[in-house]
Order: sequence, then C-alpha cells, then structure tokens
Amino acid sequence: MDFKAELLKAIRSRKFIFLIVALVLMAVLPLLVRSEYIIGSVLTLMLVYAIYASSWNLLAYSGQGSLGHAAFLGIGAFASALFATKLGLPLIVGIFVGGLISAGIGLLIGLACVRLKAWFLAMVTFGFTVIILAIMSQFDSFFGGMIGFPTPTLFPQPQYFPLYYVALAFAAASVVVIFWAMKSKLGLAFKAIRENESEAKMVGINTGLYKLLAFVISTFFAGLAGGLYAQSNLTVQVSIFDPAFSFLPLIMSVIGGLATIEGPIIGAVVIVSINSFLPLTDKYLQILHPLFPGVTQVGPQLREIFLGMFLILVVIFMPKGLTSLFHKAYDYLRKDIGKVKKLEGH
Amino acid sequence: MITPAGLAEALLWGVANGCIYILLATGLNLIFGVMKLVNFAHGQLLMVGAFVAYEATVIAGLNPYLSIFVAMGSVALIGVVLEKFAFRRVRGTEKLNEIFISLGLIYVFQNVATLFWAENYNIRIPSSLAGLNLSLGSIAIGYDRILAMVIVAVILVGLVLLTKKTKFGLAMRATSQKSDAAMLMGININRVYIYTFAIGAALAGAAGALYGILFSFNPAIGALPTIKGFAIIILGGLGSIPGAVVGGLLYGIAENSTAYILTDPSVLGNAGSWPDAISFILLIIVLIIRPTGLFGKKGE
Repeated sequence: MDFKAELLKAIRSRKFIFLIVALVLMAVLPLLVRSEYIIGSVLTLMLVYAIYASSWNLLAYSGQGSLGHAAFLGIGAFASALFATKLGLPLIVGIFVGGLISAGIGLLIGLACVRLKAWFLAMVTFGFTVIILAIMSQFDSFFGGMIGFPTPTLFPQPQYFPLYYVALAFAAASVVVIFWAMKSKLGLAFKAIRENESEAKMVGINTGLYKLLAFVISTFFAGLAGGLYAQSNLTVQVSIFDPAFSFLPLIMSVIGGLATIEGPIIGAVVIVSINSFLPLTDKYLQILHPLFPGVTQVGPQLREIFLGMFLILVVIFMPKGLTSLFHKAYDYLRKDIGKVKKLEGH
Repeated sequence: MITPAGLAEALLWGVANGCIYILLATGLNLIFGVMKLVNFAHGQLLMVGAFVAYEATVIAGLNPYLSIFVAMGSVALIGVVLEKFAFRRVRGTEKLNEIFISLGLIYVFQNVATLFWAENYNIRIPSSLAGLNLSLGSIAIGYDRILAMVIVAVILVGLVLLTKKTKFGLAMRATSQKSDAAMLMGININRVYIYTFAIGAALAGAAGALYGILFSFNPAIGALPTIKGFAIIILGGLGSIPGAVVGGLLYGIAENSTAYILTDPSVLGNAGSWPDAISFILLIIVLIIRPTGLFGKKGE
C-alpha cells in the first residue's frame, strides 16, 4: 500500500544513517586489520551472530520469546551443507534453501505455538531442540554425530576474506529487512500483540496470522545465519543444537537492548569480543589456580561466571540494555549543543 | 526381550524417578504460584543440593539420608540470597527480566560448581543401600528408590499441612491470590516472598540429594530437570500440587519405559536422548490439544 512512504520514512530516520555508517566502517575494517584470526573468527562471527540475534529479537518483538532458536540455526547449517554435499547444489543456493527449510519448520512450530502464552512457548521451542537432537542422534552416519562433517566452502581456501564480505552483505540485507519489518505496519501489529494480545485482537489485528509471520521471518533469518555459521566454522556438528546456542541470541539482545534494531547487533559485537579477547587474560587468571585444584584451566569458568554476572547486572541496573547508554550520551550531547545555541542567541 | 514383568519393573522404577521430578516441580509451582516468578535456575539449585549432600556424606561422614536436611538448609539459604539480591530487584518490571536473571544465574552456578567440583565428575552419594533390591515376585526395586518415594511423600504431606493449616500458609495463599490486597490486610509480602523462595529452593535441594543418591551427577545436570519441571507444571496445571504429582509420575514413567523399550536389542538397542525427548513430545502434544495444560485453569 503505502510501501513507498514507509520506505522513505525508514531511510530518513536517524537509526538508518547510523546503520549506513556502521556498514561502511565494517566494510573498511578488514582492510585495516588484515589478520586471519580477527577477520575469520571474530568479525565474521559478529556478523553471523548479529543476524541470528536480530532474528531472535524480531520474534521477541512480537511477544514470543523462543528458548530453542538453536534448532533453526542448526537446521540452516545442516541443510546448507547437506544440500551441497549430497545433492551438489551450489553452496550459496544451499544457504538460501537452508533458510527456507528453517522457515518451513518454523511455520510448523509456529502453528503449534500461536495459541500459547509467553513461557509455554519458551518450553515448546526448547523441547523442540531436544527432540531434534534425539532424532539426529539416531542417524549419526548421515549427520556426522558428535564429530560432524566438513562443509564444502563457498570460495577456495582460505576463504576468510571473501566470506567476510558475503557475511557482511547478508547481515546488511537481513538487518534492513528486519528493520523494515519492525518499523512498518507489520511491526506495529507485532508491538500491539506484545503489549496486549487481547486488545490487539479487539482492534481487528489477526493476531494468529501476525504471530505466525513473525515466526516465519525470524526462523528464515536464523536459518540463513546457520548456513553462514557453518561456513565460518567449516564443519557442522550436532553440538549446534546445544541449549547454550539457544540462549546466545537472547543474551545478546538483552545486553544490547531488547526490542530495538541496534540492540542485538551491539550485543553480538560485545559478546563475540568478550569470547574472543577475554581468553587472553586466562594466563593471568591462572594465578587463582591453587584455589581450584580440580580444574586444569580456571579461565573458561571464570569468564562464564563473569558473563553471567554481567547479564544479571545489566538486567537489574540497565534494563534497556547497553543501547540506552548511547541514547543517554546522545541526549546529553544534544542538550549541551542546545545550551550553547541558547547562549549564542542571547 | 520386552517382557510384561520387565515393563512393570520399568514402570515402578519410573515412579521412583518421577518422585524427584515431583519435588522439583512442586518447588517451581510454589514459587510461581505465590510470586509469579519464573526461575530457570531451579535445576541448578538441585545440582548444588546434590553436591552439598555429597560433601556432607563423604567429608562430614553423615548418613546420606540425613544429608538431605543439610542440602535443604544450605540451598534454602542460597534461595534467600537470590530472592533478596537478584529477583526482588526486578519484581514488577517486565516478565522476561526474571528469565534473563535466571539464565545469568545458570551460568554462574554451573561454572562455580565446575571450579569447585570438577574433579568429582559423575559421582554418586555413597549409600549403604546401593545395589540392594527388594524383590516382589519377578519384579525388583532398589531400597534406595523405595526410601526416596517415602521421603518425597513425607515432604509433600508436610508441605500441604504448611500451606493449608498454618497461619503462614494462609498468608502465602492470600499473597498468591492477590498480593496488593494481602499487603493491605497487614501481610508482610516481602517476608512471604522470601520464605516461599526459600521453601521452593529447599525442595530443590532435597530433590538434588535424592538425585545424587539414585544417579551419578556432575555440575551440568541442572539444565534438563528445570525444563522438565516446568513442563510438568504446564502439564499438571499451574499452582496445583496434585497436578505436579500426576505430571511428575507421568514423566518418570514415560521416560523410564521409553528407555526400557528402546534399549531392547529388537527395537533400537540404544535409547540415545529419546527418554529426554519423549517428555517434550508429550508436552507439545498436550499443549496443542489443550493450550492451558491438562488440569490448567484459564488465565495464566
């Protein structure tokens, strides 16, 4: 309908300009750092998780908190790799097919879930991950079991440099689509459902349909992220269905800022940075080793404890996430500029 | 070979395993019913309970069944701290915040436990009754499991008496129905909340000690029991203790008989993670047919 007006509105918004700036920065960054580890394992992972966390965030935006999003990440990863190895499909097609299959299964799960209240849904999605794991463990020879199997690659090895730009393109496209979904009438409906489902129904929103739509869009992007994850990892393993992978997008979205477009992206950057650079402090943490003779390395545990405390502290003291800090800083600066202008006027 | 006697035995052992789920689900139900709080770290309290009972048995030389009380006491104390310093601070804000806090707690508990007890991987609380079975004709059941059933029954009776017959129970029920009105009637709801959380945590601690006697455990065992506990109270209906009992028994039986049937060489030979999956399949089927759970009231 007024698609054009919506698009114009989105482009003119402040956040959109920030997104463009971030995109340009991300495009230039690998040219500056030139380290295989940083580009391949840190920056690419940030992009993949930004898609994944944004997809979870969109679902949460419609009031549906999934505790089993790893299922869709995993389906995307396995589907993209299996279509390429077993059917010889080009990998880039495989990634899209992975997203579509994930969305298809998301549709089925969504159909079962639309009538459920918030945390009933969390249970069903969590249970679904456990069920998938049980099914897949019956076909270890096909799915590779715990060891997994190597995925064919998009580019000849080493592919970290071109893969980064592919991931960047995917991330930019996904974020724009999700941004549009949040800002359009669709997003308005999602928001209404999240705030009060029965009232939303009363004003004539087909809540079931919209909840289902949120499910399909969200799981599609989670599937895409899965295909890219398999590429950056070079193998797919059933461990991708681990609950830790389901909690990851949730933690990222909460730390960054729930129900905002930039929140999950900030969260992905923060969490991947913590996971990649905090291990450097492990050798200093080793001083504490005599206290805990049972483990060989105290670093990984202390880091996870830190992450858990971080999450709790953010929820208690900064319930709108790290993004609220930026908003505060921005408002503060604007106020200051305003003051200066007022002084000049006098 | 799947025999009727074997199946009956699997059912009986399932009932015993279900007792642990009952304790866990009742604790969750109590906390949810009174405080409307969703604590996903409940299973981690079970795990801590198991380790505390283990230490009490091995280091202090306590009888494993007496160590249950030690576990209940210490986990209740942890519960008091959690309620006071974490959950209370987000009370009345968005519902999801409690889930996020409990996810953070999962990370903290699991890793603290790994730091302290990593060398004790897959241990069991040594019980003098371990391996001894009572045979009833062609069926046999471990004495440990019989005792576990008795203990759970005693705890449940105690809980019912507490909620139905005491003044504090009355305050709890009043707060559960309408916390504002309860406050106006002079009930200190902060105190009700903190005691409720402590009781719920103590039940998880008892469940942990029993778990440690019946199964081997490690710092990572908490995750699945939590989710199963929630699944049970969804099945059994929120706020209903009989519902939690039925749901817990159903889960224990379903899991154990699935494991028994699938492990048979003529079926799969290896149950894999199907026993875990079957409980969720049950849950999903029930929720598709009845979105409010088996005995659920409308509303929440």
